[in-house]
Amino acid sequence: MALRSRARSTRLLVVTLVSISLVTITVDYRQGDDGPLSALGDAALTVISPLQDAVSTFTHPIGNFFSTLFRLPSIRRENETLRDRVAALEQEVATTAADLDRLAELEALLGLQASLGRRAETTAAQVIANGVSNFEWTITIDKGSADGVEEDMPVIANAGLVGHVLQVGPSSSVIRLIIDPDSFVAGRLDASRATGLLSGEGGADLRMGLVESTVEVALDERVVTSGYRIQGVAQSLYPPNILIGTVSRVLPEESALETFVTVRPAVDFSTLDLVLVVLSSDGGA
Amino acid sequence: MRRTLLLAAVIITALLLQTTVFAELNLLGAKPELLYLVTIVFAILEGPASGAIAGFAGGMAQDFLLDAPKGITALTLTLLGYAMGMARQYIVTPSPILPVFLVAGGTFAGVVFHGVVSFLLGELDTSWLYLFRVALLSALYNAILTPLVYPILRRAAEGSRSRRVLRW
Repeated sequence: MALRSRARSTRLLVVTLVSISLVTITVDYRQGDDGPLSALGDAALTVISPLQDAVSTFTHPIGNFFSTLFRLPSIRRENETLRDRVAALEQEVATTAADLDRLAELEALLGLQASLGRRAETTAAQVIANGVSNFEWTITIDKGSADGVEEDMPVIANAGLVGHVLQVGPSSSVIRLIIDPDSFVAGRLDASRATGLLSGEGGADLRMGLVESTVEVALDERVVTSGYRIQGVAQSLYPPNILIGTVSRVLPEESALETFVTVRPAVDFSTLDLVLVVLSSDGGA
Repeated sequence: MRRTLLLAAVIITALLLQTTVFAELNLLGAKPELLYLVTIVFAILEGPASGAIAGFAGGMAQDFLLDAPKGITALTLTLLGYAMGMARQYIVTPSPILPVFLVAGGTFAGVVFHGVVSFLLGELDTSWLYLFRVALLSALYNAILTPLVYPILRRAAEGSRSRRVLRW
């Protein structure tokens, strides 16, 4: 008996609660976001959010830990994707930097070409290998006979004289650098106009001989190619007035007749990248 | 009086946990529904009347705290508490894992009911498949949490119950 009345009161309770819920739903549905129920919700949120903050402070790391645990596979995948992306971007950055360097070098070469004279024909070439021997100072470039390169053609870089073509292949050539001991370049001191012969010394500075002993040589004086030409007999390999380097040392006189000078090459041969092969020049102005 | 306080404390605790820990704990697109769990456990322990009250109070609290259409959770949990309380009376089994099954089934039914009502009100914009998936996962998570929550609530409920009243 008591049980039945209890069941009835429970049913009544449930019906009441359900009705309240339905009324709430209806009111909220009709009023949207502006009604008093919304305001009540906002008020409740204001009360509970400090509590939530407090709880979060403690539980956030725990929740994080577990969700991280469950998301490990996707995190790993994401990690891989990101790594790939980083590698690609780094590659891109490196390429961009290299491209910029190349651009700057090409622009400089362009200026150099203009300075060679209007009729000079040149072709830009990429250095693809350095000399293999310890006793030969050569580089290999990616232009050969197919591009019109021939033996003995002068090769320059934006900083100055590089050397001349030693050997020509169909699509590549070997350049003898001016620092090779077998390389001889007729040079001229810029200030005194005195000429001399520069020979390579390998890794060390060039040695300039056959300078008359009466000439006053200053340190840091520029040395350029002299570009002599004896009609029908001989002609220097190099066009005139290309920078070779600067005087680094004036040696004590070894004989009364000539002064020895060492010249630091203007070109840094260890970082050579783009060079210009002079196909034909007007042979000196 | 003590039971009202207990109920309030349990609901607030559940709400806080639901909106903090379990809000971040989103596994496979679903999370445990602590209020459903608490309602069902209360219904099992205290009968349909207490279940309905607990469900109504918890549902209202959740409705007003979360920016959801208000009343739907309250309606769902009221009915859920009542239904679970009734169901418990008719099931006679000494099995200690009965609460786990009741929680799982109740949560699934509750979440689906909630989804249906939301849909009828035009508040649900997911597919049915997704709703069932969420319901299944919530049921699973709640079932897993039951062995942790049930003993705590039982002890609390027994402590707050006056000695003279017989248990249902």
